[in-house]
Amino acid sequence: MTESYVPSDKVLLPPADANVHTTACDYCIVGCGYKVYTWPIGRDGTPTDNALGSDFPGGILRPWVSPNQLNVVKVDGVDHNVAVLPDFDAKVVNTGGNHSIRGGTLALKCHNSEGPTRDRLTSPMVRVNGKLTEVDWDTAIGAMADVSRHVIDRFGESAWAMKTFSYEFFENTYAISKLAFGAVKTPAYSPHDKPGAGADTAGVDDAGLITFNTSYEDWRSAEVLFLSGADPFETKTILFTQWIMAGGAKLIMVLPRRSAGVAYAEARGGLFLQVTPGTDALLHLAISRIIVENGWEDTEFIEKWMASSWEIGAGMGRGTRNTPWQWRTTWGKIGAESFDDYKQWLLDQDESDLSYAAKGTGVPAEKIEQAAEMITGGGGPRPKASFGLEKGNYWSNNYLNTASFSAMGLLAGAGNRPGRFISRMGGHQRGWIGAASYPRDKSPEKLPGRRKVEMDLDRWVEAGKVRFAWVIGTTWTGAMAASQELASRIREMTVGNPNQVQALDRQSIADALIRRVDSGGMVIVDSDIYPVAPVGTEFADIVLPAAAWGEHDAARCNGERRLRLYSKFYDPPGESKPDWWAVARFAREMGYEGFDWETDNDVFEEAARSSRGGVLDYNALVWKARRDGQAGHEALRDLGTTGIQCPIRYEDGELVGTKRLHDSTLELGDPEGPTLHPKWLTNFKSHSGKALFIKSPWALFSDFYERITPDPEKGEYWVTNGRINEVWQSAFDDVRKPYIVQRWPDTFVEIHPDDAAANGIESGDMVRLVNDDVLIQVGGFNRVKAEELSFTWMLENGRIRIGRGEAEAVAIVLDSVRPGLLFTNFLHPGSPANSLVHRVPDPITNRYRFKLGKATITRIGESPYKHAMDKMSFMPRDIV
Amino acid sequence: MPEPKRPVDDGLRVESDHGTSDPACGATDPNWLVSRRAFLISGAAAVAYVTIPVRLPGGGITTVRAEVANYPRQRIGRLSTLRTGEPVAFKYPWDDIQAENILIKLGHEAGGGIGPDDDIVAFNSWCTHQGGPLAGTFRSDPGTAGPCPLHWTTFDLTRHGMVVSGHATQGLPQILLEAEGDDIIATGVMGLIFGYQDNRVDPAGKGA
Repeated sequence: MTESYVPSDKVLLPPADANVHTTACDYCIVGCGYKVYTWPIGRDGTPTDNALGSDFPGGILRPWVSPNQLNVVKVDGVDHNVAVLPDFDAKVVNTGGNHSIRGGTLALKCHNSEGPTRDRLTSPMVRVNGKLTEVDWDTAIGAMADVSRHVIDRFGESAWAMKTFSYEFFENTYAISKLAFGAVKTPAYSPHDKPGAGADTAGVDDAGLITFNTSYEDWRSAEVLFLSGADPFETKTILFTQWIMAGGAKLIMVLPRRSAGVAYAEARGGLFLQVTPGTDALLHLAISRIIVENGWEDTEFIEKWMASSWEIGAGMGRGTRNTPWQWRTTWGKIGAESFDDYKQWLLDQDESDLSYAAKGTGVPAEKIEQAAEMITGGGGPRPKASFGLEKGNYWSNNYLNTASFSAMGLLAGAGNRPGRFISRMGGHQRGWIGAASYPRDKSPEKLPGRRKVEMDLDRWVEAGKVRFAWVIGTTWTGAMAASQELASRIREMTVGNPNQVQALDRQSIADALIRRVDSGGMVIVDSDIYPVAPVGTEFADIVLPAAAWGEHDAARCNGERRLRLYSKFYDPPGESKPDWWAVARFAREMGYEGFDWETDNDVFEEAARSSRGGVLDYNALVWKARRDGQAGHEALRDLGTTGIQCPIRYEDGELVGTKRLHDSTLELGDPEGPTLHPKWLTNFKSHSGKALFIKSPWALFSDFYERITPDPEKGEYWVTNGRINEVWQSAFDDVRKPYIVQRWPDTFVEIHPDDAAANGIESGDMVRLVNDDVLIQVGGFNRVKAEELSFTWMLENGRIRIGRGEAEAVAIVLDSVRPGLLFTNFLHPGSPANSLVHRVPDPITNRYRFKLGKATITRIGESPYKHAMDKMSFMPRDIV
Repeated sequence: MPEPKRPVDDGLRVESDHGTSDPACGATDPNWLVSRRAFLISGAAAVAYVTIPVRLPGGGITTVRAEVANYPRQRIGRLSTLRTGEPVAFKYPWDDIQAENILIKLGHEAGGGIGPDDDIVAFNSWCTHQGGPLAGTFRSDPGTAGPCPLHWTTFDLTRHGMVVSGHATQGLPQILLEAEGDDIIATGVMGLIFGYQDNRVDPAGKGA
């Protein structure tokens, strides 16, 4: 018999009297509703009497429990069985028990001291003589505070950095931002997926569009969907299988690689625009030009909803020019004054020419023409067209891609009507509530004209300016560009510094670490749920154990701003605590006021005040709960997996959710109680309430793009990266799910058969990808002259150094990618694809171009999976 | 076809050989392939072992030995009449709609495959995501089932029914086969059949 992973062939069923908790999935943006059943060992349900209220065997679309939906957890210290199942009664998001492979295996992520999750962090630890050693919370936090006070006093608050997730629940991010921005007031901050604070898709924001403005039912009611930079089948599964497939829209998929969603789209009359990485702006410009040359734009919409020159300039107009968006739109290069101005600019660009775009993007000219026709109706009846974008779009040429994307969508009349929107599809869920604003005035980074911008934290680290960093729930190095180069610098400043902790009392720890920072070194504190390499396992001096999903009550929103309670259903392991608790404990030690929360709900209710007037405003829920004598979390718990869409309004004694933003069909009365009616509920988010055309001159990108384009003569390939259905983010849970490990025991790289043959590579071979030409921007925080933003200037003036990166992967030979391009998973532990990516952010927005890596490829030998038969499949993912 | 026999073994037991783990990755060996719950309920006699190596990213390898329980033996076809790429339907281990399976000769080697070319395999025909019908989607080239008409999940028939792309939280249950002369004999099921709570409970007894 072939060796194989053997699943169980029976399951336990929750009994009718099992404890039932509602929650939502911990993973992707869609946030499917789940029910968690816990029951004491031995008190199982039966095929005819169980908590699902459904007899077994069942059949198609009936409730079922798979062996990977069960685990054993501690509830009040006692072993309980747990089943985590899609909510078969869900009324929203994932109705009828639909689920992804990620959410479907949520049970496997739970801490089980006898299972693969047993290496959860359970106690604070300090690295003593090189070894992480358990200490109590008082010692760990005390030493952190001693070092922090010294760093802030001696080096200033910008030497004290916060590197954190931006999504893992309101309670935690509120506490984190209250500490970093409200108490320490440090500008040295960056979220998990970018080098600094600020917008992800500034070209969409600057057009007057809020990025998550729509509802899933709009994805179903659209007739044409232009989807750029992600296959939602792979990465936002239920959005695709529950809403897009049900709606039957014609799909235009813009990706460098053919995946399952692309195959589905093509099989149903859709279009696959297989772009060369980094060229989306050319595609958008060419489509837009075809539209205006043929007069296919939505004239009625443009006249009513696009700002005129007068409206743009009236009153305060584009403002004081001192915030990033004001600077961008008054720069003179990108803010269009009107439709006519934009149209003329478009016609004047050599790069918007169809033949130029076809050559640059690699997409045949007739397909570009076809796309322009599909999204506008080509002069015939105008379809309801919508536009979704994600990271392949905005992580390759951030500003120009997003600006040209929104302009194209607006020309087609999308933006403010049901089924006609321009929105992000989303990655992680929306879990950020800022307690205070980012202190931009303290940022050392300036654009020409003394305009302060959010700092690039990685470059600040590279410059040796950070002396203390608290890392919360992110790999930091693996998730950032030029990962190995960043890790090398951090290694040098932490474990490479001679001042190391040698004794385990607070005074000794603080003394050693203060000597470290005084000698130019850096101290790292890492809060996480597992030992994370290398930041936690190798670099951190102090490691703090976090309580996770299901271990405390928490709240956040999904991609349609739907707020739900993620219920606690079992005990956090050991001494682990929610991150808000650790932050509060540290803040009190530092002497900061306003961190006296005792419960998850205390933080949730306080954070409601900071949500007011924002997209995720849930203040009305807490306000009403208090009037009803209820805790905010309990009011949310009552709403179960349905939750409510933010911003939440209070009308006629009831809470009312908001289906979409910029909704021209929404009729609002006078605001009642705590309700606010920001004008972007019914208008665009701009000075005039109208949307704006933003120009996207290719010349702002072309010098960098030419420099990084792989040279086939040198054996270089594009290495672009993305996500796959089966693996979530850094695989922190998936490497502990045997079922997923069987599918993906290692990372992969897809290579075209022609390229594989040229390099002697077959499916299952282990290959090494090397980029010894990784460009890294250094220094230059205080820019004075306009040309300092140009890549050419930076190259000529010592602002770019060259580093190296490499990764290993198992080759899969498929024609899903074109010759000259390799596709790999974006963040596999131990083999970070981001090492092959240049650390030169978009100068306009400070966002990395993660999708534009390059490498040579060399066969190392056969992987263990080439002939194994029991793990890792080399089948194509685009089978019809 | 003979009456399916009632399985004699009701147990599942796991033993593990602890392997190395990769400290850089920070994970310990995930040699835990059935839940602790399953471990606790183990009993009865062992029949067959399979060894399951699990490699962690970064290099650690661990192996697990698992036992699979006995199922009825049932003749489901003949080697001499099976043609490459022409699927044959059969029911096993019960005469039940959820127990409908597909026998297929792939024409290339497959995990668990029998016959001279190790290319004859059989799988349950209901998707383990939400029970969609896969019967019409079995293909010898490249060796897949799916995409499921419901939500587009595909399975790799050469690799024990592993999910290629999609949503199922378990691979497609593989019908274990043996050749006895010209006869193809089904000897067991690897993986829980969609809709079932226990493969070895006769659904005809439902509600009894």
